Amino acid sequence: MGGSRWIHQDNISCYLEGVQIHGEQLDRSVTAFELKNVSFIRKKGTNVFCKMEQGGVLGGIVLFVSKVLQEPKDFSCETQDLKTLTCTWDPGSDTGLTKQPSQSYTLFESFSGKRTLCKHRNWCNWQVAQDSQETYNFTLLAENYLRKRSVSILFNLTQRVHPMTPYNLFPKNVGATNATMTWKVHSIGNNSTLLCQLELLTEEKVIQQHNVSIKVNGEYLLSELEPDTEYVARVRCAYTKHFWKWSEFISQKFNTAEAAPSEAPDVWRNMKMVSGHPTVSLFWKPLSKVHANGKILFYNVTVENLDKPSRLEVLSIPAPARSTELTLDQCSYQIHVTAHNSVGPSPASVIVVSGDPGNEEVEKGRVNGTEDGFSVSWKPQSGDATGYVVEWCDGPQDLPCVLQWKNLGPNTTSTVISSGAFRPGVRYNFRIYGISTKRMAHLLEKKAGYLEELAPSDNPQVVMSNLTSHSFTLSWKDYSTESQPGFIQGYHVYLKPKAGEQCHQAFEKTVLPEDSVCCKYTIDNPEQKTFVVENLQPESVYEFFVTPYTSVGEGPLDAFTKVTTPDEYSHILIRIILPMVFCVLIVMIICYLKSQWLKEKCYPDIPDPYKSSVLSLIKSKENPHLTIMNVNDCVPDAIEVINKPEGSKIQFLGTRKSLTETEFTKPAYLYLLPTEKNYSGPGPCICFENFTYNQAASDFASCGHFPVTPQAPPPQLGPLTSPENLLKALEQNYMNSLGEIPAGEANLNYVSQLASPTSGDKDSLPTNPPEPALCSEYKMQMAIPLGLASAPPRENSSLSSTTLLGQGEHCS
Amino acid sequence: MLACLCAVLWHLPAVPAHNRTGDPGPGPSIQKTYDLTRYLEHQLRSLAGTYLNYLGPPFNEPDFNPPRLGAETLPRATVNLEVWRSLNDRLRLTQNYEAYSHLLCYLRGLNRQAATAELRRSLAHFCTSLQGLLGSIAGVMAALGYPLPQPLPGTEPTWTPGPAHSDFLQKMDDFWLLKELQTWLWRSAKDFNRLKKKMQPPAAAVTLHLEAHGF
Repeated sequence: MGGSRWIHQDNISCYLEGVQIHGEQLDRSVTAFELKNVSFIRKKGTNVFCKMEQGGVLGGIVLFVSKVLQEPKDFSCETQDLKTLTCTWDPGSDTGLTKQPSQSYTLFESFSGKRTLCKHRNWCNWQVAQDSQETYNFTLLAENYLRKRSVSILFNLTQRVHPMTPYNLFPKNVGATNATMTWKVHSIGNNSTLLCQLELLTEEKVIQQHNVSIKVNGEYLLSELEPDTEYVARVRCAYTKHFWKWSEFISQKFNTAEAAPSEAPDVWRNMKMVSGHPTVSLFWKPLSKVHANGKILFYNVTVENLDKPSRLEVLSIPAPARSTELTLDQCSYQIHVTAHNSVGPSPASVIVVSGDPGNEEVEKGRVNGTEDGFSVSWKPQSGDATGYVVEWCDGPQDLPCVLQWKNLGPNTTSTVISSGAFRPGVRYNFRIYGISTKRMAHLLEKKAGYLEELAPSDNPQVVMSNLTSHSFTLSWKDYSTESQPGFIQGYHVYLKPKAGEQCHQAFEKTVLPEDSVCCKYTIDNPEQKTFVVENLQPESVYEFFVTPYTSVGEGPLDAFTKVTTPDEYSHILIRIILPMVFCVLIVMIICYLKSQWLKEKCYPDIPDPYKSSVLSLIKSKENPHLTIMNVNDCVPDAIEVINKPEGSKIQFLGTRKSLTETEFTKPAYLYLLPTEKNYSGPGPCICFENFTYNQAASDFASCGHFPVTPQAPPPQLGPLTSPENLLKALEQNYMNSLGEIPAGEANLNYVSQLASPTSGDKDSLPTNPPEPALCSEYKMQMAIPLGLASAPPRENSSLSSTTLLGQGEHCS
Repeated sequence: MLACLCAVLWHLPAVPAHNRTGDPGPGPSIQKTYDLTRYLEHQLRSLAGTYLNYLGPPFNEPDFNPPRLGAETLPRATVNLEVWRSLNDRLRLTQNYEAYSHLLCYLRGLNRQAATAELRRSLAHFCTSLQGLLGSIAGVMAALGYPLPQPLPGTEPTWTPGPAHSDFLQKMDDFWLLKELQTWLWRSAKDFNRLKKKMQPPAAAVTLHLEAHGF
């Protein structure tokens, strides 16, 4: 590729971009290097240089790598005014050679022999000579340091006329439906005619095209325009003599004037009751641009009462409102709605409403959704229907209704309702109305449908009740079938039986996604929202789960609910035990309330002499030393047994009490006091006090004093009355009278009272009747148990005999 | 000695009074010119690195020292030390002015040939700065009352390679242009430093004189 002609020395090395290269030494001073695939490194070129090992650079060359110079493409020449030719071409890609100039273009015309060096890479001007040369043969020569390329064309000047762009394009006299366009063109030569093309565009579409031949000024009347519409008019021109190219377009926008709206607004209504008054909501659709003919400023709503003559009520509702609400009475009203722009009103839209809501109970059906929408059909109304209206809400049921409607002709019985707002899994309700000749709407049918049914998204809240040992009831009455993403066809009741138990007849065995086996019962009635699970085993755990299903599938598999059946007899026990407990409670309450009465009847209180109120009375009034005799300190000196049934009874009671409260191991010796000699002053004595008789007896009776010496009885009394005998007699007598008292328990203090000599027992008082004859007033004897609580006073009073002590001679 | 001290004290108040009321002289201009040479020296270091990489190896190698083949027309900055010391102020400033005038023309030619926009921008910026240095030298010369050298008509230097001038030699010339420019900036810094010291106010000399006498 290159050669080195420096003086050859062994210590000279050559390098390509700093990398040593090795060549072939041709002779002593010439070395040849062959370089292949020299790549483009930089615009400044690739350096190849040689230097001595111990010295500086001797010299070098620069290799330029560039792209190949391409032949110019699309070389053509044309003129706009027959004075200057403009030749253009595509130079191709830049060679990238930085040596100036990298490439040059020269234009040569062979007939005239003239040449010009072009200043630009892709175009060049050529001045047309005044000698009326018509034919030109141009050669374009492209060259750089490495090569040359050329291309030639031959043409006639008049066939290469490309007019300049027209100018001053303006609309003139613009009306609602027409406008006049004017423009100008640059003249070409003398008296040349240009063909101009006027185009009218709206929304970037050409709607009109007109050709006009002009010399300098152009004008054209555009008609059939739409009111209040923006148009674009554009013009281009060509040389008429020899068509070569259209000029560039000149464009101009303009707006036509407004006109009155050409169509009545599409009006619909919705009737409802507000606070007991029929209220009509009027809705209307905004007029399309084609029909509005301008900016709608307001809507006029005129209400006319049809039942009774009254003044017309006119409401003016400013745009862009699309609805209004009117409160009416039970009369019929004709409502006119007109749209107004700056020019005037539209034709009126008429609708008749009545306070009577009409028949709402109409046929209900279902409608299928397709990709195009809902195909709604209805039965034709037999009569004078002037049209039909299908009404629906665009949004789901739980959102505010965006009322939509579609007007249909009288001969139509089906339509396709499509909306971009329709979503799968949303129930849409359609209401079909027939419009009578009186412009009144009557509900004909109701339809419901889904654009696409989906499986239920949630399961009902199931309540379990009536749990017995063999069954329980499931209910989900709150579940709304209306707001589901598909028509609910029924429910699946899943039941997991206890281990090893088979599914019941009505159930079918199924396998759940998690590979567990359970029983499934299908309810095919969507309105049946209860189910009784029967034939269960007592004391068993069951799991249940209820899910609805649509045509697409069933709801999500939720968690099962566990239920345990109770014992078989537990309910029976409950039925028995509960009433019993109740009865016992009642009895207890009654007993409590009547306890006093029962106590009096069954267990009367024994009066306590220490707590007697009489005692306090006596103490305070008469004798402060008066006290109650302690039975323990008394030894009876005489016993009179009176054969009286009441007395035995009392003794029995007294005996039983004394058994527990006395500790006498031997019977006390009872002595009768024979004389007053033996009286040794106050001493132990027995004093029975019966207050019943106390008051009466105190005046004339006196209590005998019976000195008692238990430890040392007087010996002189022995022959007279042996204590043992007496005791025996007493015991015998007592035993005879009581009978059931055991002999061993007769260790009681037998308390006696002095009996009347006349009525006393002769056996017991043979010789020495007691002197104090006054004591014969005592009627009765009784046994007072030691420490016994006071007997009820009434009981004492019922005993007719008590022992009274004289005043001042009471026992201490 | 007493007489000398009296003479100094007699002249001492006169120097500040002269400085306060009169023209500050060429001192500040020389200082600014000196600062500018140092700034350009720093700026050229960055520019030369970029440009030599643009030329490619071996021009961007640190030890590259090519023969000065086609750069004979460049003004040489190197001069014998004794000759440099013996230069008077006018000649010293004139040589600086003429050298930068030529170098600026060569540099503009270099800028025209640069292929990348970034390099052209850097070169243009440096040319502007060099133009400022040239104006600063002219200002110093004017302050000292020296006339500017007039370029001879038709002898404006150009940096256009002739037909026989190879691209490699052209690159070597570019290398030498940058190298000579750098040497000139070093030399100018010394020239203006020398001038600066020479143009220092006489008061300083008086002080030094007093100190010398003190010892």
